[in-house]
Amino acid sequence: MISIDNVSKHYGSFQVLTDCTTQVKKGEVIVVCGPSGSGKSTLIKCVNGLEPFQAGAITVDGISVGDPKTNLSKLRSRVGMVFQHFELFPHMSITDNLSIAQEKVLGRSKDEARAKGLKLLERVGLKAHAEKFPGQLSGGQQQRVAIARALCMDPICMLFDEPTSALDPEMINEVLDVMVELAQEGMTMMCVTHEMGFARKVANRVIFMDKGLIVEDDSKDAFFGAPRSERARQFLAKILQH
Amino acid sequence: MYDFDWSSIPGALPFLWDGMKISLEITVTAVIFGIVWGTLLAMLRLSPVKPLAWFAAGYVNLFRSIPLVMVLLWFFLIVPQLLRSFFNLDPNTDVRLTSAMIGFALFESAYYSEIIRAGIQSVPKGQVAAASALGMSYSQAMRLVVLPQAFRNMVPLLLTQAIVLFQDTSLVYMSALADFFGAAYKVGDRDGRLVELLLFAGVVYFLICFAASQLVRRYQKKLNAHVAH
Ligand SMILES: Nc1ncnc2c1ncn2[C@@H]1O[C@H](COP(=O)(O)OP(=O)(O)OP(=O)(O)O)[C@@H](O)[C@H]1O
Ligand SMILES: [Mg+2]
Repeated sequence: MISIDNVSKHYGSFQVLTDCTTQVKKGEVIVVCGPSGSGKSTLIKCVNGLEPFQAGAITVDGISVGDPKTNLSKLRSRVGMVFQHFELFPHMSITDNLSIAQEKVLGRSKDEARAKGLKLLERVGLKAHAEKFPGQLSGGQQQRVAIARALCMDPICMLFDEPTSALDPEMINEVLDVMVELAQEGMTMMCVTHEMGFARKVANRVIFMDKGLIVEDDSKDAFFGAPRSERARQFLAKILQH
Repeated sequence: MYDFDWSSIPGALPFLWDGMKISLEITVTAVIFGIVWGTLLAMLRLSPVKPLAWFAAGYVNLFRSIPLVMVLLWFFLIVPQLLRSFFNLDPNTDVRLTSAMIGFALFESAYYSEIIRAGIQSVPKGQVAAASALGMSYSQAMRLVVLPQAFRNMVPLLLTQAIVLFQDTSLVYMSALADFFGAAYKVGDRDGRLVELLLFAGVVYFLICFAASQLVRRYQKKLNAHVAH
């Protein structure tokens, strides 16, 4: 479904990604972790072309992301993305947040978009809040709306960039529960997260990045059992202490 | 002691009111045109296409570096001729009002574009990323996500600029156009009561602008409360 081949990216002389290679098969859940500044966000943003890259190739569902002839907007409309800071549109009601791209990008009718939005809002347990504005919801609720907004587009895969790291601890689980359910239903997912409980529960593979390199790309059991690199061992020891 | 005599004002009120209508007409067209053209300029200036950005930057800097009086003077000298020859108008058609409107609109759009550019930049980058991630094109992201938020934040500044503009419209008196200030001046001159008429005009300008800025402040408070929410 997603194939990343020798991707490199630099800002001026600063190398952010170096020869990153990995694959995500249909229905797989991949967790990406690593220290701050290691390039996790950059890598995941390269997948839907939000960040350009200078070398290598990425294909999503057989479509090349780096090819200038690719209709990136169309590709992005099929790849869901969830951000650390939710990025709901604060000037629109929850209903409008859910329907705007369905109408303007997919060309669905207002009624169809609304109905779909309500269905997904119900799925993340927030149907009662349909007419509120994002500012009136808690962080956890906003992130669940953001997931519903992405799902409204019927994505072929989902990208998550630290979806719980801006949340108060008591709200993390309500978001993880939605993500676990999604994974169990067979959604293809690439998640940047340090929630190792989530990784243990649903991940097929764990990728560990450091300084722009993919240092480990292993099955969940191998990764948690005995990480190959010293850096990953230290990293795991540190975050599992918490 | 100077003997005030206000008796010429009541009879002149209809004429003054006509002047006020001209002042308001110029203000409103310049605000509307200024915001539309200013938004375009702001978007050009933020565009990755360098020549477009340069054009917008040049336009804005040019108009912001020339005194308004001079811009208007040029417009009163040149634009009437242009309009006449361009639209084949009768030489006696009065195009001073149109010239004034065009002059103010072009001048003000430079200021509006700076306000709008700051407004666009005040919207977090993540909003564009989220809109793009949903498959929106750049122009859809601008139109549906960025500009509505930018304008909501900018309304107080845009209105404050409109108040300044309303005061500046008094400069058209130099083309002998009877805006509110010009009308007051004419009446005062005719009746030899310039001091009274100019005092009266000053009080009216003050009341309108003061009331308008109070409204802007009220709106600003409401906006802040909403954002803090
Ligand atoms: N626009 C930019 N210009 C220059 N350097 C950048 C830019 N964006 C990111 N970087 C750098 O690239 C590196 C990788 O950033 P990235 O956001 O991908 O890291 P990350 O692994 O997601 O970290 P975090 O856990 O803090 O989110 C960082 O060192 C960052 O400073
Ligand atoms: Mg990051």
